[in-house]
Amino acid sequence: MYLAVALAVVVTMGLALIRALLGPTVYDRVLAVNMMGTKTVLLLSVITFAIGRPDFLDLALAYALINFIGVLAVLEFFRKRSELDPENNTREAE
Amino acid sequence: MNLIFGIFLLTLMLITGIAVVRAKNLFVATTLMGIFSLLLAANFFLLDAADVALTEAAVGAGISTVLFLSALSLTAEQEKPCYGGRLVALGVVVITTLALLHATLDSPRVGDINAPVHQHVAPWYIEQTPILIDVPNIVTAILASFRGYDTLGEVFVVFTAGIGVMFLLAHYPHKKPHKPHQGLRHYLIQRLVGRTVIPFILLFGFYVQFHGDFGPGGGFQAGALIAAAIILYALIEGTDTALTVIPSWLLTGMVSGGALLYSGVGIAGMLMGGNFLDYSVLASDPVAGQHLGILLIELGVGITVTGVLLSIFFAFASRKHF
Repeated sequence: MYLAVALAVVVTMGLALIRALLGPTVYDRVLAVNMMGTKTVLLLSVITFAIGRPDFLDLALAYALINFIGVLAVLEFFRKRSELDPENNTREAE
Repeated sequence: MNLIFGIFLLTLMLITGIAVVRAKNLFVATTLMGIFSLLLAANFFLLDAADVALTEAAVGAGISTVLFLSALSLTAEQEKPCYGGRLVALGVVVITTLALLHATLDSPRVGDINAPVHQHVAPWYIEQTPILIDVPNIVTAILASFRGYDTLGEVFVVFTAGIGVMFLLAHYPHKKPHKPHQGLRHYLIQRLVGRTVIPFILLFGFYVQFHGDFGPGGGFQAGALIAAAIILYALIEGTDTALTVIPSWLLTGMVSGGALLYSGVGIAGMLMGGNFLDYSVLASDPVAGQHLGILLIELGVGITVTGVLLSIFFAFASRKHF
């Protein structure tokens, strides 16, 4: 049962990674990173119970708390960038 | 089961790593580095290295993304095109890869009981930790007591790195800037969620700091978590407000004070008749002395790491009001 859940989470991680690689806009990538963080929290929680060491749940807790900061930093980065250069705030050239 | 997940996560890491190198847009590379760090931490966790995974969680997921983005806001978003020298680079990479692959053929299997690492000092550590130090987390016992010299060296490395970054980047404006940095104060959802989360991150940081003898964690991880909470505060309320809460003289004091506390515990051991960093003499009972010594040096590590990470963040942020 744990195995099935962990497999499903891992497959979702793969899908999120594909979205992060393909883009095409900044929002896709930010959402993909955020989703990747959530999936990591889930994967760690499932594995802690699967290997029978729920005290390692601390790690998942650390991720759940910290994950928010990266997203806020991205928001702040684009807010600053759009103030400096209103034209080019969400477009990205590759 | 662990093997399959390990291979899958390593494959994802390989793909992400190649994508980071290939990305011409530095913002894309930064976001992909965030994913890389998450996958790395999951891998550490699968290999049962909970303390390392917690460090990677605290530093990789939160702080390094913030630092990368603040560095990026001081420079251009696109990578400069680079011509020539590619064949040499490819040659070096191929030769290194082949050498590493050749070396892995000799390395023992994961968890092999006959591996040299499990034959040398590890059995002694496992036998002696309950007798000499009596803490459940053997990693903490090794890190803080048996190999206290190495950890002292690490703290000085962190200290030196912080000083180096402050020399390069820090400049403290003498007069107030025209427009104080507002942060994300006017964004309701971000402010509410952030304000709710900050106390919990701080609480969790102190838990990791003082519970490191019993579970995964210790000074390094706790320092990164507490620094992350204050960086979150700075992002929400603006750098200027955060610098009034934690003034720069306090940060400088923390950077040097933690390292000083660590070495002070070592010298106190010498003065009380033991060797440098021998905690057994700190209290009447050797085991109680070890507990006291580990608590104090972990505190020193935590203070220095918090101070250095925050100094680096403010050094970046006060340059161009990231």
